[in-house]
Amino acid sequence: MFTLTENEISNLEKLKNKEILITGGSGFVGTWLTQLLLYLNDTYNFNITLYLIARQLTCNLEALIDSRKDIIFIKNDIRNIREFPKDIAYIIHAASSPDNRIYMSNPIESMNIISDGTKNTMENALLLEKLEKIVHLSSGQIYGSLDSHNITENDFGKLNCNSISAIYPEAKRYAETLVNAYRSLHKLPVVQVRPFSFIGPFMSLNKPWAVNSFIRDVLKTKNIRILGNGKPVRSYMYPTDMAVWILTMLLYGKSGASYNLGSDVGISLEEVAIKIKNIVGNDVSIEILNMNDSCSEFVPNIDYVRHELDLDITVNIDDTLKKSIQWFEKNLL
Amino acid sequence: MNLKVAILGTGNIGTDLLIKIFRSPYLQCTLFAGRNLSSKGMLKAMSFGVPLSDKGIDAIIENPTCCDLVFDATSAASHKIHAPILKQLHKIVIDLTPAKLGLFTIPSVNLAEALQYDNLNMITCGGQASIPIAYAISKIVKNIDYIELVSTIASKSAGPGTRANIDEYIETTEKALSHFSGCKTVKAIINLNPAQPSIDMNTTIYLKIDEPDMHLISVEVKKMVEVIQSYVPGYFLALEPVYDNGFVILSIKVQGLGDYLPKYAGNLDIINSAAIALAEEFAKNKEVIYDK
Amino acid sequence: MTNKINLYDVTLRDGSHAIAHQLSIEQVEHYTKAIDQTGVYAVEVGHGNGLGASSVLVGKSQLSDEILLKTAKENLQHTKLGIHVIPGFATIKKDIENAILWGVDVFRVASHCTEADITERHIGYVRNKGKEAYGLLMMSHMTSPEILLDEAIKMQTYGAEGIIILDSAGSYLPDDVKERITLLSQNLNVPVGFHAHNNLGLGISNSLVAIESGAQIIDGATKGFGAGAGNAQLEVLAAVLQKINYQTNIDLYKLLDAADMVEKDLIKEPITISSLSIVSAMAGVFSGFSKHVKRVAKELNVDPRDIFMELGRHKVVAGQEDTIIDIALKLKKRI
Repeated sequence: MFTLTENEISNLEKLKNKEILITGGSGFVGTWLTQLLLYLNDTYNFNITLYLIARQLTCNLEALIDSRKDIIFIKNDIRNIREFPKDIAYIIHAASSPDNRIYMSNPIESMNIISDGTKNTMENALLLEKLEKIVHLSSGQIYGSLDSHNITENDFGKLNCNSISAIYPEAKRYAETLVNAYRSLHKLPVVQVRPFSFIGPFMSLNKPWAVNSFIRDVLKTKNIRILGNGKPVRSYMYPTDMAVWILTMLLYGKSGASYNLGSDVGISLEEVAIKIKNIVGNDVSIEILNMNDSCSEFVPNIDYVRHELDLDITVNIDDTLKKSIQWFEKNLL
Repeated sequence: MNLKVAILGTGNIGTDLLIKIFRSPYLQCTLFAGRNLSSKGMLKAMSFGVPLSDKGIDAIIENPTCCDLVFDATSAASHKIHAPILKQLHKIVIDLTPAKLGLFTIPSVNLAEALQYDNLNMITCGGQASIPIAYAISKIVKNIDYIELVSTIASKSAGPGTRANIDEYIETTEKALSHFSGCKTVKAIINLNPAQPSIDMNTTIYLKIDEPDMHLISVEVKKMVEVIQSYVPGYFLALEPVYDNGFVILSIKVQGLGDYLPKYAGNLDIINSAAIALAEEFAKNKEVIYDK
Repeated sequence: MTNKINLYDVTLRDGSHAIAHQLSIEQVEHYTKAIDQTGVYAVEVGHGNGLGASSVLVGKSQLSDEILLKTAKENLQHTKLGIHVIPGFATIKKDIENAILWGVDVFRVASHCTEADITERHIGYVRNKGKEAYGLLMMSHMTSPEILLDEAIKMQTYGAEGIIILDSAGSYLPDDVKERITLLSQNLNVPVGFHAHNNLGLGISNSLVAIESGAQIIDGATKGFGAGAGNAQLEVLAAVLQKINYQTNIDLYKLLDAADMVEKDLIKEPITISSLSIVSAMAGVFSGFSKHVKRVAKELNVDPRDIFMELGRHKVVAGQEDTIIDIALKLKKRI
């Protein structure tokens, strides 16, 4: 699943013999980080002990965890954990779903998971003697609506806090500010990471995102329907890159810094639909219904990450889609 | 001595149960267990001086003698995990989730039968309000061709869990209605009404009956209403049985007691009151527990 | 963006209210055959309250959903087959799963205007099956434009490919429509639609205001055949839009033929704006109530207008038809 360069391996060697905690361990990000950390243990004898906190284990992880001693699952709500295992050196706080439907149907509980879950994670972190760094997984959505194309870490657009759509991004903004308050008051070493869009294995196709439904429809030989003009631009990062980036940010990110996490190669919805159709090779058509004029863009600028952390995209969009589709064909149909 | 009961789940249902148990001369709450000691329900329970735990079911596993009967007010998924554990520990379980593992139980209908089981399911709020009436009529009218239940509850009384499980509400209510009335063709419908101030829970029952003896039906319905009122004080007949267009029609309203949630939450009140009535019956017949 | 308007035909669904849900196989056959040639986007068929709604509460269908939908599907080659779905009446297992098998293309999942979150699972299920899903907010006059927007955003997030607001009581004035449609179309990413009732004679003009305010989906019924005073009259709407140069893909002559067929085949009593329809709009009560109110009022000898006004005061929602008899009996006692 992973092919890391020697340089990347030696960069990650700081993780050797360390205890790492992931909150939200069973989500998409948690699953991928677990895969990578176990790969480092198995292939390069990193001897990492991994703690996963989640309310529920997904089937992807269940099989994995049963058979291993280097991974410990703590089944609990992140808000209710009173203390973390005392030798934890690194924390990746990834608890909170990015599925907007949950924010619509259960907004108060969702906001509370982000606010109290983050607060409780920071409080518990304060008690750790060996703590070296925390990554707080925020969201690219905190940028709000912007006119600029490639979003840098310093661009802040409009967010209407009175709209139901603001539940997730405003809660994430609050969480970032709270994490920074812990850094300011208690000098907790924290790095903010702002994920954009991904596609790849372990994701559900039953998600309200365009590329997921395109792949689902094409695999089921259904036509792709694009409501608008097909021009909105997104970018998609493959999760192996995502996992390596997060660990690099954890080890080398500057405390107090914020980093975009995503690909800077934008692609329009229409282009991505055509690529998916060609990869699968099904006889489906792409219907562009032109019901709106939206040409929105949601693509990060990653110059800062490139420059500071020497990271780059290693899986291009074609391979990202190919690998994803291969996995979905095998696992979801 | 009172029957020792534990409550799993510290949300609205669990907290309302706690208040009702406090009033019961037969029950004593010996454990209030959830996941979060700072939840609103926990704080309320703390003010009552009830033993608390944030370890959920593990609190019972660690101290199995703490209770004889457990109210499960968590979620269907959690109850599926709890049920086998509690069975092994020989606890009577009253399940308020939609897990549907145990015996469908309505205190005014099958209390004696319930005493022989160790997992009792409380169906749904609409089911508790209407099924006993349909049952009472089915005892005197042999061939009811069709029964339909329509419940309207205040929007405010339906939380995110109820809303996400609206299909399960319908399936469970229909299944239990068929089970108790013996009528094969049934239908359940539910509406949410957002009017302010909040409306009382309302359930209308339609029964397709040829040439009904309306007097006899009226008498039987009133008898059943009185039985239900003995454990749900806010339960009343809002529309007495009328015969219209081939159907016997009547309506029930349920006002909550305002124990924890305000009075509009008649839906929560009726299912909890039924659960308490059931637990009290076990308390009055403790020997059935120790025989198990 | 194009100036294309999708016309959505609700004749065989909303019209079911007008004939107490007594559609026959022949009526469905003839109409779907005729409408298939007209260029309307989709034709909705079924009980007035949609899938799985046949009940004593709102009226029993003469034909099952299965027969209605299969018959319609057999006669449609070009036009999509749609269905109205209200969670609380219909469930995924009992109804939606089957409707997909019977060939339904378009599912319009509806809730009362403030209760969009009960549609999450149903919309998600339909989308996951690769079918078209829309979100419908019924009785939309009963809440503020701002809350309507929030509820619409919820449905959009659940996967709805368009949001249609229903003037179920036919009580909107043009400015009401303008305010709501403008707000929604400026803030949603999916197309916005409008479903008129003609209680105050504003069916066509309100639909036009909706289009001018950004709506791209308009519901209508041929001959206005719908609940209460009926819907926006589809063939009139098509003609008006043609005059203003909107693209509708409609073959007007063929639509007129379909409308004439409705008049001959379906309509027992002409759809007019009855005095009672005006009262029902003033009271803000669901148009589908009118048959039930008339029947109960006659049986109990109560003024139906009083029943409507009282229902309005109780703020009843669609699906609360059971309150009609209760209220009528109370009114009778008061007399």
